[in-house]
Amino acid sequence: MKKVLIVDDSIAVSRQLEKIIAGSGEFEVVGHAKNGAEAIKMHQTLHPDITCMDMNMPVMDGITALRTLVAMNRDVKVVMVTSLGGVGDKFTEAIKLGAKNVISKPFEDDKVIEILRGL
Amino acid sequence: MAVKFFGQFLVERNIVSRELLLKAIELQDSVNLKFGEMALSISMITPAEAERVNEAQKSEDLRFGDMAVKLGILTEEQMKEVLTRQKNSHLYIGEALVKVGALASEELPRYLDEFKTDQAPYVVDHVAIPAGVPHAALWEITADLTYKMFTRIVQLTFRPGQCEIINRIEPNNTIVSMRMSGATDAEYFISVSGGVREMIARAILKEDDVSGEQKDVLDDTVMEFANVVLGNIAAKAAQIGKDVEIHPPEVVDTDGTGIDVPAGSTGLAFPIHVMDERVALCVIVER
Repeated sequence: MKKVLIVDDSIAVSRQLEKIIAGSGEFEVVGHAKNGAEAIKMHQTLHPDITCMDMNMPVMDGITALRTLVAMNRDVKVVMVTSLGGVGDKFTEAIKLGAKNVISKPFEDDKVIEILRGL
Repeated sequence: MAVKFFGQFLVERNIVSRELLLKAIELQDSVNLKFGEMALSISMITPAEAERVNEAQKSEDLRFGDMAVKLGILTEEQMKEVLTRQKNSHLYIGEALVKVGALASEELPRYLDEFKTDQAPYVVDHVAIPAGVPHAALWEITADLTYKMFTRIVQLTFRPGQCEIINRIEPNNTIVSMRMSGATDAEYFISVSGGVREMIARAILKEDDVSGEQKDVLDDTVMEFANVVLGNIAAKAAQIGKDVEIHPPEVVDTDGTGIDVPAGSTGLAFPIHVMDERVALCVIVER
């Protein structure tokens, strides 16, 4: 089963995503990080297959963490999670920096799983 | 179930790869000239005049063409000519995807139809904004998408009240605020009663019963709801050429005294009546 790390400062979003991802029975949520800095640390210990990461977070935002994770491993599978997914520039920026896809909010359960399956 | 642009819709459905989308966007960037670039390319302005316009834009928020007219560099007619040329030579993302080989040209109309169907729930319905309020189109989008998200995400049954100008936001169980900058400098508020807050929490947490949740978790769900709504508003605003940056949500008025609209700002309230009671409110205060 593929291991997923969820990175979001919102308890509500983390719980919502875990419910969708773990509920599919296809993925295991191995950890929750509250910001980009925590995500980088947890990456080194948990070695997740996929990281679902919010773009806007305190301490270190998702875009900065994405840059770092890609610099550490250019094959890293990061999916950005954002309510700004529909803003073309934000979507393009994330993809250009190495995100494998972008999950827009509000979540569509099937779409989230479909995106993770496609990685 | 979100406001999207066409390229994103295609990538999400694995119809085109992210690599080919990036290639198409690069092609668009090289073909689609900005107003100033187009005016320069047809020698309607000189590089020195373009620089003058750029400088003037630093102190006044006007589009390039409008500023060029204001400075007497272009006439209204010339500005319209540049805009027409820009429009006629614009390469849309669908066409760019065909050009880079990501889509067959005969497939494009079908995918565009599917995209229109996907986005139909987000077509903005008319919301009356009081006369003379600046950025009325933006506030219309804001109110309408807030209503739509209350319906789609929270499954709230309500009757929207008429937009009114207010000087004060009354206290409520949870009031969440998010700042908007860029095309406007404003504050967006969602004010909810305990009952509506629980409905939001049930929807966001995907739980049937949230009665045991702590207040900070319930407030967090209202913040997340506001974040989702405003993110989609920013996407819709970008489609009408207004770039809006949104800032993180926060719970405000924690002492329950209400919030006064600062002098010189305009407060717009969009009351949401639920079961004969006004319990939810979307408010915009523009500076």
